[in-house]
Amino acid sequence: INHIVQNGGLYKRPFNEAFEETPMLVAVLTYVGYGVLTLFGYLRDFMRQWKIEKCQNATEREEQKDFVPLYQDFENFYNRNLYMRIRDSWNRPICSVPGAKVDMMERVSHDYNWTFTYTGRVIKDIINMGSYNYLGFAQKAGPCQEAAAKVLSQYGAGVCSTRQEMGNLDKHEELEKLVARFLGVESAMAYGMGFATNSMNIPALVGKGCLILSDELNHASLVLGARLSGATIRIFKHNNMQSLEKLLKDAIVHGQPRTRRPWKKILILVEGIYSMEGSIVRLPEVIALKKKYKSYLYLDEAHSIGALGPTGRGVVEYFGLSPEDVDVMMGTFTKSFGAAGGYIGGKKELIDYLRTYSHSAVYATSMSPPVVEQIITSVKCIMGEDGTTVGEARVQQLAENTRYFRRRLKEMGFIIYGNEDSPVVPLMLYMPAKIGAFGREMLKRNIGVVVVGFPATPIIESRARFCLSAAHTKEMLDTALKEINEVGDLLQLKYSRRRLVPLLDRPFDETTYEETED
Amino acid sequence: MNVGVAHSEVNPNTRVMNSRGMWLTYALGVGMLHIVLLSIPFFSVPVAWTLTNVIHNLGMYVFLHAVKGTPFETPDQGKARLLTHWEQLDYGVQFTSSRKFFTISPIILYFLTSFYTKYDPTHFILNTTSLLTVLIPKLPQLHGVRLFGINKY
Repeated sequence: INHIVQNGGLYKRPFNEAFEETPMLVAVLTYVGYGVLTLFGYLRDFMRQWKIEKCQNATEREEQKDFVPLYQDFENFYNRNLYMRIRDSWNRPICSVPGAKVDMMERVSHDYNWTFTYTGRVIKDIINMGSYNYLGFAQKAGPCQEAAAKVLSQYGAGVCSTRQEMGNLDKHEELEKLVARFLGVESAMAYGMGFATNSMNIPALVGKGCLILSDELNHASLVLGARLSGATIRIFKHNNMQSLEKLLKDAIVHGQPRTRRPWKKILILVEGIYSMEGSIVRLPEVIALKKKYKSYLYLDEAHSIGALGPTGRGVVEYFGLSPEDVDVMMGTFTKSFGAAGGYIGGKKELIDYLRTYSHSAVYATSMSPPVVEQIITSVKCIMGEDGTTVGEARVQQLAENTRYFRRRLKEMGFIIYGNEDSPVVPLMLYMPAKIGAFGREMLKRNIGVVVVGFPATPIIESRARFCLSAAHTKEMLDTALKEINEVGDLLQLKYSRRRLVPLLDRPFDETTYEETED
Repeated sequence: MNVGVAHSEVNPNTRVMNSRGMWLTYALGVGMLHIVLLSIPFFSVPVAWTLTNVIHNLGMYVFLHAVKGTPFETPDQGKARLLTHWEQLDYGVQFTSSRKFFTISPIILYFLTSFYTKYDPTHFILNTTSLLTVLIPKLPQLHGVRLFGINKY
């Protein structure tokens, strides 16, 4: 019962997004699980304090016992008692290129995850369902790698300067012109780090007296950039256009909080694909609202560039819109292009302003030349300018993989969040013990997955997140699906009751409260 | 899991009591406690009810009004470190639905207990003092108030 939204002709294609509600029994059992873990946590803390059990944490020295404590013990409670128990599902050391298959160093722990030792064995050919390798460019052989190796021997690895001083290579200029052509914007600028692109450029664009409307589930880099800028931040419900419109209306009618002056700028921060939910932003509606209320739009296409759209140009092409409607198009090269760094694209005046005023341009070292060449080669490959159809084939393979994988998982009975077309597939686990169990069982069966829990997600909604890739062949996906099916039966993860809640009824809290600045 | 990752929800503790199924779990937990106490052969029905009331209020006092701060690091630079969980709920906004629910539930438990103990004086004194320890900290006037400096830091 997929809910198809055709909003007065704004959408040229069906928009199928679904977030099935948590079954009540599962929610109750999840709370019981957390309660039991909390009680045992208190018990273990008590035993550690009275020296019945050895304390593995860092403790203060005897001489400093009478001083004011540096850290609060309680703040570390979750870390000590819950995270430590399942810590082996994260920070796993890999020792090969993270393509469709990856090698991992095996490690064991003899004291319940407080310390790890390597056994010396390398687990080979683990199917990699966790890397953001959407178009499969994380390869160690191929045209991208050859070009990057040649540039490495020509330019070296380091640049040793910032863009504004001696670090502006001709490679950077070539990259920026290429990226601007790829996106369909007037001009673009590239930075060495994707996180730093957001956190360093939002302060350059907005300041005190401006308003930022940011989505509830925006990434840490956007949140940090917004907080650093000093502008007022208001948060609207995730992908909820009624909430956004209400905030826009209130902002324009009431103006700034005490002085009632009009806002200098209103900037809407959204992402193309939200990596925790797998949902795609409702871009046609956001652009309609932006035009109606005359505000600016900052679109972070970290996960959607290269992954959506018939030729991989991102979420703007996916909806069939014009890139001129988006004022600031930001994205990263880490996900679909197999490199590192970020870019911002937009009008020429905007990018010229950012070249002088952005913190990254002035203070951060510019991108390394082999990385730049990797991006140039991969972008040309996607656009088809290297003379082959490899890029187009990869984009289509990713779309096929996405549709196939999601359909099979839904048929098996798991609860999957997100849009039908997003290559990020969150599978709901809910209970804290299943987080660790799922990660370990999948590793035993040679599949590497990423699991996430509280507090990165709401308390009951812990999940396993699969990232599909164009490098996954159908056999790999079938193997993975077979193993997921087995583990799902073993851990009883098939919660879906086949009643997909229509989009507008997603059960958010009626009112949510925000932290107010005193 | 990145414990303490920066996202829009600065303090997840504020939303925990509003999440789906929390009230039901709480009610079931109290029911479970009561059934366990009733099954112990030494306790008569009034004693079991008074014990349920007292233990429930003791647990509520400890977890909502005595323990301060969050069990994980939050990106709010320590604003919530000196606040109890009750004071953190919904970022300090009073009279939200969670607060109303958790104010009314000990009162209902008190009514039931008074009925089942047949309004016996000893039980009455015990139950009333226990109820007061759990109701008074919930008053909006006592938001952030620490009597005699107890539990201040």
